[in-house]
Amino acid sequence: MIEVQHLTKRYGRVTAVDDVSFRVERGEILGFLGPNGAGKTTTMRILTGYMPASEGRATVAGFDVFEHPLEAKRRTGYLPETPPLYPDMTVREYLDFVARIKGVSSNERRTRVEAVMRRTRVSDMASRHCGKLSKGYRQRVGLAQAILHNPEVLILDEPTAGLDPKQIIETRDLIRGLAGDHTIVLSTHILPEVSQTCQRVVIINKGRVVAVDTPENLTARLQGAETLYVHVDAPGADVTSALAALPGVTRVQPAEMRASGAYEVESERGRDVRRDLARDIVTRGWGLLELRPMRMSLEDVFLQVTTEEPAAAAPESAATPEEAPRA
Amino acid sequence: MRNIMAIAGKELRSYFASPIAYIIIGFFALPFGVFFYLYLDAFLRQSMQMAQYGGNMNVNQQVIRLVLQNASVIILFVMPMITMRTYAEEKRSGTVELLLTSPVTDLQIIIGKFLGALGLYIAMLLVTLLYVAILFVYGNPEWRPLVAAYLGLLLMGGAFLSIGLFISSTTDNQIVAGIISFVVFLLLWIIGWFAESAGPTIGPLTSYLSITEHFEDFAKGIVDTKHVLYYASLITFGLFLTAKSVDSERWRG
Ligand SMILES: Nc1ncnc2c1ncn2[C@@H]1O[C@H](COP(=O)(O)OP(=O)(O)OP(=O)(O)O)[C@@H](O)[C@H]1O
Ligand SMILES: [Mg+2]
Repeated sequence: MIEVQHLTKRYGRVTAVDDVSFRVERGEILGFLGPNGAGKTTTMRILTGYMPASEGRATVAGFDVFEHPLEAKRRTGYLPETPPLYPDMTVREYLDFVARIKGVSSNERRTRVEAVMRRTRVSDMASRHCGKLSKGYRQRVGLAQAILHNPEVLILDEPTAGLDPKQIIETRDLIRGLAGDHTIVLSTHILPEVSQTCQRVVIINKGRVVAVDTPENLTARLQGAETLYVHVDAPGADVTSALAALPGVTRVQPAEMRASGAYEVESERGRDVRRDLARDIVTRGWGLLELRPMRMSLEDVFLQVTTEEPAAAAPESAATPEEAPRA
Repeated sequence: MRNIMAIAGKELRSYFASPIAYIIIGFFALPFGVFFYLYLDAFLRQSMQMAQYGGNMNVNQQVIRLVLQNASVIILFVMPMITMRTYAEEKRSGTVELLLTSPVTDLQIIIGKFLGALGLYIAMLLVTLLYVAILFVYGNPEWRPLVAAYLGLLLMGGAFLSIGLFISSTTDNQIVAGIISFVVFLLLWIIGWFAESAGPTIGPLTSYLSITEHFEDFAKGIVDTKHVLYYASLITFGLFLTAKSVDSERWRG
């Protein structure tokens, strides 16, 4: 439904998004997880046709967002980071206007607006000016605006930001209820949000995709097997089978998107194979260029992104490695 | 077309939802009324004197024309207030993200905004028609030159609006947009003053560029295609620049 290929966006000398690729299947909810400045908003702005990418391409519902922007936009609902409300309009007037520019036919408009207001629980604010709404209601009207024309694809930039815990739960329920008929990408800093709402997660940090997996697998990866990143200088040698033969090593595969000679080595849980690995490589006469545990980088990202969960007790306790994946 | 009207309607509604529209109309209608009163008063005195000697006076030339020429200067001051927020405010508040991610083209947005601003301007002109109606009640002015003059006002205002729209699209600060627009409009007006002193080659050029110079004939009641063309091309040029500015903004992010 959504396909992103090698997307790169530069603002002058800053690379906000760096070679990002992922796919979202029809009916799926994909979580876009990353710390501040990771490039989530930038990626979403490209997907919604707000700005073009510097490189790479993106298709939404089968339409290239750059070559057929109107077709793609017609099928996309977007909740920007700050809900795009006009302070002088009442909620109903605002949604009526949005319905017009989203191409909702005039005989459906009224019923659509009312239905969406009920669904996002803003009906009691229908005659209130948007400028006088609380942050939580703004967010909900923003969501109402995004689903108004019943788009196939929903792009939601931090849909639960600024909501109280009860509203967060309501909003998550609403989003889960929308999945199925809708394909959803939502961004967040909050790890538990992802595990509760999303079927798959893209973790992004400093513009790069760090991991793509289901929340369960990601958690398992954190708690389970140890993965090492090994870079050896051994031209022509069969490194893979040599390393795989070591006791305790369960799997060896070439590291993705890295220089040749780089491998990911997985070992049994709780067993540290670094010493054996290093000795083996050196005795074979190969050069050991780099050896480090891989889970650390993933964990680092998790730690950064988990510190923001409002429902979690104290930020310190949420930040401990044991708690982070489970929270 | 539907998208254009939706955006134009939204613009117009947001003018009238805030005090802005009323302030702008007041800002225009009050001085207009003062000029109107002064010229009419002078005219009545003169015509009374003339009547004693059996002369003939023309309301069109001696009241309407003079009032509208002065009005064109008031317009200069009022127009930046209409256009300054159009784009700048959308950019500041982030609502531009809604417009640019909706299935509407840049051109539809721009024309919609232009028509919205024009709508407010037309409302402004309609208020002044109330004054003119007084002339019809107490005298019998010719209506043809009047239509020509209002057509001229409309075209001249449109030219200001499209340039103001462009200036608003280059910043996210409406005050900056307002000030720059005012300076630019002022330049476009006073450039005509240099026409006489500028010599035979530059003189015609400067008076050609002056946005208010082209209104002179309209005020006299003459519709000259030369002037219509001038305003039409200025409007097109302003809208074109706005489209360029919106597009380049998108690339810069
Ligand atoms: N308009 C812009 N001009 C220049 N740099 C920008 C612009 N917008 C974003 N950036 C930079 O691009 C990077 C990614 O920003 P982005 O807003 O996409 O991050 P994010 O993941 O949405 O962060 P957050 O969680 O804070 O919302 C940041 O370094 C930011 O400073
Ligand atoms: Mg963001």
